[in-house]
Amino acid sequence: MRPMRAAAGVPAAVLVLCATLLAADAQAPDHDAGAPAILVSRQLAARAHLAAGDLVTLGSDPQGSRRATFRIAGIYEPTPDPMRFTATRLEARMHLPDLVDLVADPADPASREAVTSISVRLTSPADAASFVPQLAARTPGVAARPTSRARDDDPFAVLDRFHVAISAVTMAGGTAFLLALMVIRAEERRETVGILRLLGISRRTLLLTVAIEGVAIAALGAVFGILLAFATEGLVNRIFQARYDTALVFVRVTASIAARSVLIAAPLGIAAGIAASWTLLRRDVLSIVRR
Amino acid sequence: MSALHLAWRTVRRYRAQTLLAIAGVAVIGALLFDMLLLSRGLLLSFADLLERAGYDVRIVGGGGMTLRMPIPGSAGIADTLRGLPEIETVALVRILPARVAGRNGTSVSAALIGVSGAASGVWTIVRGVDLDRASGEPCPVIVGRTLADALHAAPGDDVRITAEPAGVRSALPPIVCRVAGVGQFAFGGAGDETVATTLEALHRASGEDRAGDADLILARSRADAGAAAAVAAIQRARPGLAVYSNDEVLEQFNRNGFAYFRQISLVLSSLTMVFAFLLVATLLTVSVNQRLGEIAALRAIGIGRRRVAAMLLWESALLVGVGGLLALPLGELLALGLDRILRQMPGLPEQLHFFVFEPRALAVHVAVLVVTAVAAAAYPMWVTSRLPIAATLRREVVG
Repeated sequence: MRPMRAAAGVPAAVLVLCATLLAADAQAPDHDAGAPAILVSRQLAARAHLAAGDLVTLGSDPQGSRRATFRIAGIYEPTPDPMRFTATRLEARMHLPDLVDLVADPADPASREAVTSISVRLTSPADAASFVPQLAARTPGVAARPTSRARDDDPFAVLDRFHVAISAVTMAGGTAFLLALMVIRAEERRETVGILRLLGISRRTLLLTVAIEGVAIAALGAVFGILLAFATEGLVNRIFQARYDTALVFVRVTASIAARSVLIAAPLGIAAGIAASWTLLRRDVLSIVRR
Repeated sequence: MSALHLAWRTVRRYRAQTLLAIAGVAVIGALLFDMLLLSRGLLLSFADLLERAGYDVRIVGGGGMTLRMPIPGSAGIADTLRGLPEIETVALVRILPARVAGRNGTSVSAALIGVSGAASGVWTIVRGVDLDRASGEPCPVIVGRTLADALHAAPGDDVRITAEPAGVRSALPPIVCRVAGVGQFAFGGAGDETVATTLEALHRASGEDRAGDADLILARSRADAGAAAAVAAIQRARPGLAVYSNDEVLEQFNRNGFAYFRQISLVLSSLTMVFAFLLVATLLTVSVNQRLGEIAALRAIGIGRRRVAAMLLWESALLVGVGGLLALPLGELLALGLDRILRQMPGLPEQLHFFVFEPRALAVHVAVLVVTAVAAAAYPMWVTSRLPIAATLRREVVG
């Protein structure tokens, strides 16, 4: 078997710290001028009233038995994570050696060598599936997993299927109503259709007219729906972003979604129009004009 | 002739459009009903799982309810808990990754759960007996159903278990255990393989020089004390412990874990309600516009405004009522399909359901449909009440 080669083995340079913020001090004393730098998340900065340049004391336990002072170099927006959008992102990022100094057990020299995870970028991403068992065989106790999910294992693929199912049900309900409306509309034009038939206009021409009308109505409806979705996209995102305090985008109307809406709506409009008109047109011309 | 009778004759006369409108309301109503079931379904299902386990107090490590971390000094904590008058039973739970090999040579990665004392409720025995009835066995195990199928293991068979503690390089020797029973684990995911044994057997499998700390301590409060009093007593006896009653666990999951489905059900039920209102209102309005001459004739022969308005209200009620009634069985069927889709989500307990019926959902469904029917009939009723009889007759009939 061809040996796998990792292009870059990166022990994370900065880590999210599970620690306790013990104190914050806006006035930096001279002896703390060389305090190591950290970044704090926007949410933590807002919660603890922190700003860039402040000195903070972080401890690895609530009692503060092991603590260190850091200077806030900046505030960052955490990368939106759809798997954790309900979690409040109270986080700080620091250089790995600073974290090790803070949390390593002095009685256990091996603890300075331990990291929570190692990110690896493969030369060929397609080798991920075979790299995982090879690594597990060579280093017992290490659990490796690809960062990209298989389609079956992806919760968002499941949500996607759920949303498609709901859309299908909504379309079914909408189609029933559209048919009912077209039946009323066809009945409304009974006299006109009868006269046109008496004038010699064929069923085929009348059905074609109805089909064109159906396409026009369905396409206009779909375009209106897309415009409404575009108009409300920002509002929906702003509401959910404020609710969960995240930069995650919840709704995005893409060109492919818009195209799919029109492609589904147009045939439905034609079918509803023709089906409703056919109930009238299939009758004898005299019965249409009630003779 | 009563307004209801008039409405009935109208819907019978326009049979095709009535049937199509009812079908539309039934489909949209089914979706609305499902969204109501979804709004609290996960919470009810999760509460049921927690209740079925038979414990109403949970003590976890520093990672809270979401991160599984060992509880330092868990054996001492359990002893303290057993001495409290508010507590009836205490069980310790420890979980380790392991490999389980069957007689056929198949080896499968699984979660090895070690429990102390009676842990009835955490799993349901499908075949064989529970751990406490496998007396004399040094390492009795309960094997999950899918794992038993994969290993072709049945009660009485031997399996070999090798503990694989996370983050530790180890090549521990396997221990031989006997399958006491095959069970369904309350919180086990559909794709998760699980095997449970006693805490002593798990300790032997781990090869540690002393018993490790539990990941979870479960307690059952005495009936006369209740969970809240038990939580307070534990916090008094052991300050600093992360102790939760089932209600608090539910509240936490309701705030975080289930928020998405609550939000989506709220958004979708509001949209379906607006959708149903718009469509029924449009249908009734178009239908009334088509029948203006007929309605003016009814008014001309002495049928009052109120009765005509009531007729339209009844028409709306018949469309929405029959559609809404059909929506219930249709919604149940649809819920089964949607539940099956959502339960494919990885890591979810096998017995957790998204759509759970409760009378409250039915009451809200009925209330929403009543409001929709009345609101949808409002505009056509207003149009007919202001209808000039003579002018309409001249325009619609004579013209």
